[in-house]
Amino acid sequence: MEVEPIPQQAEEKIAQIESADLVIGVVADLDLKSLVAVCDSLHALSDSPRIALLRDDHSVDPAAARADAANSPAAGNAASPYIVPWPLSQPDAAGTPMLSIPAAYQSVFAACEKLGARACCLIASKLESASAEWIGQLAVPLLEEDADLVVPYYARHKFEGLLNSSIIAPLTRCLYGKRIHNPLGPDFGISRRLFEKMGGAERSANRTHPLASLTPTALCENLQVCEVYVGARMYPPTDWTNISSIVAQVLSPIFSEMERNAACWQRMRASSSVPAIGDPIFVSQDAGTVDISRMVESFHLGNSDLQEIWGLVLPPSSLVELRKLARLPPEQFHMPDDLWVRIVYDFALAHRLRTINRDHLLKSMTPLYLGWVASYARDLETGGGLALEQRLERLSAAYESGKAYLVSRWRWPDRFNP
Amino acid sequence: MWQQIKQALAQSTARFLTRFADLLPGTAALILAVLISIVAGFILAAIVRRLLSSMKFDQRWSRWGFPSFSDWSPSSSPTLMVSRAIALLVIVAGFLIGLAAFDAEWTSLLARSVFAYIPNLVGAALVLLFGTIVARFIARGVLIGAVNLNLHYARLLSIGVKWLVIVLSVAMALEHLRIAPGIVELAFGILFGGIVFALALAVGLGSKDLVTKSLERDAHKVASEKIEEPFRHV
Repeated sequence: MEVEPIPQQAEEKIAQIESADLVIGVVADLDLKSLVAVCDSLHALSDSPRIALLRDDHSVDPAAARADAANSPAAGNAASPYIVPWPLSQPDAAGTPMLSIPAAYQSVFAACEKLGARACCLIASKLESASAEWIGQLAVPLLEEDADLVVPYYARHKFEGLLNSSIIAPLTRCLYGKRIHNPLGPDFGISRRLFEKMGGAERSANRTHPLASLTPTALCENLQVCEVYVGARMYPPTDWTNISSIVAQVLSPIFSEMERNAACWQRMRASSSVPAIGDPIFVSQDAGTVDISRMVESFHLGNSDLQEIWGLVLPPSSLVELRKLARLPPEQFHMPDDLWVRIVYDFALAHRLRTINRDHLLKSMTPLYLGWVASYARDLETGGGLALEQRLERLSAAYESGKAYLVSRWRWPDRFNP
Repeated sequence: MWQQIKQALAQSTARFLTRFADLLPGTAALILAVLISIVAGFILAAIVRRLLSSMKFDQRWSRWGFPSFSDWSPSSSPTLMVSRAIALLVIVAGFLIGLAAFDAEWTSLLARSVFAYIPNLVGAALVLLFGTIVARFIARGVLIGAVNLNLHYARLLSIGVKWLVIVLSVAMALEHLRIAPGIVELAFGILFGGIVFALALAVGLGSKDLVTKSLERDAHKVASEKIEEPFRHV
């Protein structure tokens, strides 16, 4: 992987440190004291790993950071982490995380390479729990258990992380045969071995998205992947005017990875779990009615105005089903999982074939996605945690049973067009 | 007197026959040039047809966003349309070459001016083609964006934007062809202004409810802030 140049302000500090075993990059707004406490607990591990903590200049007030650093136990303590001020991400509008986090990954990889570290972590989320212990939990399997990729398993509210629940997680499970609940992180622990494999992949394929390619690379290279149970993530509020851009930004790298790893995922058949560390954390699920009229309206509008575009992407059978769906009264509106799964597969194929401009393609998928979210919300309106798990399991099963359709369409896009 | 009449008649007959004999090689050359160009045109058209068929040009054409344009073409096949256009071009070029063989001043002038006009024709065709592609691309983007914003006049907006760009490119193409530039300028101004005015009226009237809702929302902002959407996508 082509690593980012080292920022000038960090160069001097890096020269002092020389080497480290673990590099932790922190983009999220977390206070230094709790980070130092986490590093101290990691330092107490068997071979006392040396830790470099990269702090994002943009995420904190510089004056507060200086005061924090001066007051922290790390100051003047040789056993504590090396704290390096490092611009991990550009300040960005809320709700578009895919733009800045890849840059943060590039920075962490650059530091990791420079310091010859065995592993690195990137922390981009803030969890609902005040404690920062979970950061240490991401790092321990890398240092102690020889894991290559440590993925967080966030406790989930039923209506949060919907792009992940509806597409990313079940698609990853179906394609690569491992049940990983948050394949896009964005918090990850990565071993040097995986980082080097990614470097090889980067050289051969030129453009990859670090966040989207971590899990597929680890799974296709048969590396050790595990999940760590952590608390619930805090998500930015939905910006309804920007949702199609978010859909396009998130799905484009996922579909590109799918294209890049086609030879790998076509060999995979059934799926299996990955080792999970810790105890599952449950959060309360609010039961109550939700307003889905806006999403159903968006689906109807898309169905009446975007037929011309959907007609280039979807086979006639799916178009007929969508028309039938549009004729249902709003209170009976329900998009079946198998139809949704075929839609996702057909859009992935159209992305590969460049049927139309890729940005237009993915943005035109938004009304369909909102249609599925409306059906999902109706299913889970009054359900609790168990109902959520069962609902998502049903969706994942639909993805897996539709894989034969995907493989046929992928291999013979012109001949297999039901 | 009779001698003079006979002499004039003989001279005019000789002149006519000489002129006619002069025309014969040119006519033969014209016929030959047209025949050769017909043969060359059909061979070239067959090659182009085969090449485009192997490239699946018809499917690509509709994928590029010109499904309606293919309706104009023979048998709804853009491949046939392109190959026949090429054959026609070759035949016209052969005819012009044949005309120039007459060696008469007016025919060479005609051929020369027609050949000199070809770059303008090609330029105008390119402007039109590029304009159509851009118009369709922008219209599709506007349509998707407007649908995702839940605007009920999304299609109208998209069609309006498409015709704005098409009218602009047609005006540019006609300007390039130097066809009645004054009228084109005037007609373009009227059409362009008309479309913008019609769009402004349609969108303005269509979004009346939207503006009302927006103002109402602002008025009850405090109340609405309490109702938070439970959905988080990323």
